[in-house]
Amino acid sequence: MCALPLFIPIGVTRLMVMGSYLAIFAMSWDMMSGHTGYISFGHPFLIGLAAYVTAILSNQGGFQPPHLVLPMYVTIPLGVVAAAGGGMLFFLPSMRARGPYFSLVSLAFLVLLHRLVMVIRPEFTGGDRGLVNLPSVVMGAIPNYYLSLGLMFVVAIGLWYVSRSNVGSVLKAIRMDEDVVEASGISTYRFKRFAFLLSAVTAGIGGAFYTHYLASLIPRRAFGMTFNLDIIIASVIGGMGTIVGPMFGGYFLTFILEYLRPYLYGQWRLFAYALLALFIVIYRPRGFHGIVQDGVKWFRMRRGEVYG
Amino acid sequence: MAKLLEAQGITKKFGGLVALNDLSFHVEEGEVLGLIGPNGSGKTTVFNIIMGDFSPDSGKILFKGEDITNLPTHQRVRMGIARTYQVPRPFKEMTIFEDVRISTVSPSIIGCLTEKVMVYDAVIKKILEDVGLGGRFSMYPHELTMGDLRRVELAKALATNPRMVLLDEIFAGLTVAEIEEIDKLLIQKREEEGLDFIVVSHDLKALAPLVDRVVVIHFGQFIAEGPFDQIVNDEKVKKAYLG
Repeated sequence: MCALPLFIPIGVTRLMVMGSYLAIFAMSWDMMSGHTGYISFGHPFLIGLAAYVTAILSNQGGFQPPHLVLPMYVTIPLGVVAAAGGGMLFFLPSMRARGPYFSLVSLAFLVLLHRLVMVIRPEFTGGDRGLVNLPSVVMGAIPNYYLSLGLMFVVAIGLWYVSRSNVGSVLKAIRMDEDVVEASGISTYRFKRFAFLLSAVTAGIGGAFYTHYLASLIPRRAFGMTFNLDIIIASVIGGMGTIVGPMFGGYFLTFILEYLRPYLYGQWRLFAYALLALFIVIYRPRGFHGIVQDGVKWFRMRRGEVYG
Repeated sequence: MAKLLEAQGITKKFGGLVALNDLSFHVEEGEVLGLIGPNGSGKTTVFNIIMGDFSPDSGKILFKGEDITNLPTHQRVRMGIARTYQVPRPFKEMTIFEDVRISTVSPSIIGCLTEKVMVYDAVIKKILEDVGLGGRFSMYPHELTMGDLRRVELAKALATNPRMVLLDEIFAGLTVAEIEEIDKLLIQKREEEGLDFIVVSHDLKALAPLVDRVVVIHFGQFIAEGPFDQIVNDEKVKKAYLG
């Protein structure tokens, strides 16, 4: 994968970058929602927090005096810290609101931040038009390819390790029956808090680097339904609660959206992939990860290795 | 003998309904207590309050002499109280082995991240064999009968390494042979590991060989207590059951 840019056209390299970031967001969503069952409709809130903090503080074309413009190696960690704080804000309602109620509260957070950047100090946030000409961490498609891929692998390996450990088992048990986990002598409070924090930190890492890659931050995009649903759908069609599934889902979604472009006109493209997502959710709720698992099982049964 | 668990004047109201009314009872160390009463008399509510699923409107719960009324559920479990649910609540997408393993994991995040997944495998296998589920470790809950699901409940409770287990209708829907098996297991656990039990059951026959003492409640109120034989012949108890 490291040598890939040598063989693929530059356009595909750019797609890989987009795929890597969507994969990070999908895995981050999976850590919180796919594992614990607290389905968040407000993940862009966490991503947006990190993006705005790093964008505002590092924006040379902005209205702040030059001595307040900070280098990115300061602003990106600050953005991640902001996202972590946002994750803890998410955690508060999760102690009281479960199921669809949590989803609604998480959506409210997203709307709140969207409105907030419109009304407070538009000279800093850019208001409705957002921020442009942000500094880039690295220039060009190929360096960005390595940067995004590196980030993606770090996030993937970290989250995958947690998911495979007993922490992952406990989180999945919380998804199935939270009260019973508590009655097993485990503080569900503590494990949820950890999952939310980890999810927020990874969302922050993705959000901060992504906004510098795009060199712009447009609130209509960042807080729009399309981006929000892309994250959730990538995670769901990949296979919730598996980390590897959402990672694959991130790339899959990016590529299928691009390659449908010549065949389907405008909104039909979005319609087609929404339809695909719907079918997978209804008929294969465990996503691609589940399909692969079932396939392997079927293959082994055919070879007579496993019975039942 | 010292009191292991003590309920002092527990009152719990749900809206206008008084589920428990100034109920007091205790369990002595080394004792098995039966808790009986007609349908809707508040037996499961007693368990929910002991476990901390909700807090009583007034009254106190003491365990090993400590006031646990305001402790969260998981801390009570760590102190040594475990329960089974009347309607089994297995984790639906886990094998029964994975299910029981949740009861053995470390309480801390760091512990959970670093401990080997296999640490307690032998312990879990032993418990599952004890309750009569040997050789069915990798089955999912939907493949099991109600009787087996109740065994899983029991295995989960035992895997928390309890001092005392609250058994909610553990015999319901089991065959006579199965009831005998569970009775035997509980008596063995009591003798070997010194576990205490509170047993809620409609099946008084299943209780008979197990319990030292029975507490009867009716409409959330204490009616009678005493040895099993005495209780089943008590006039007030008969009246409560037969109306």
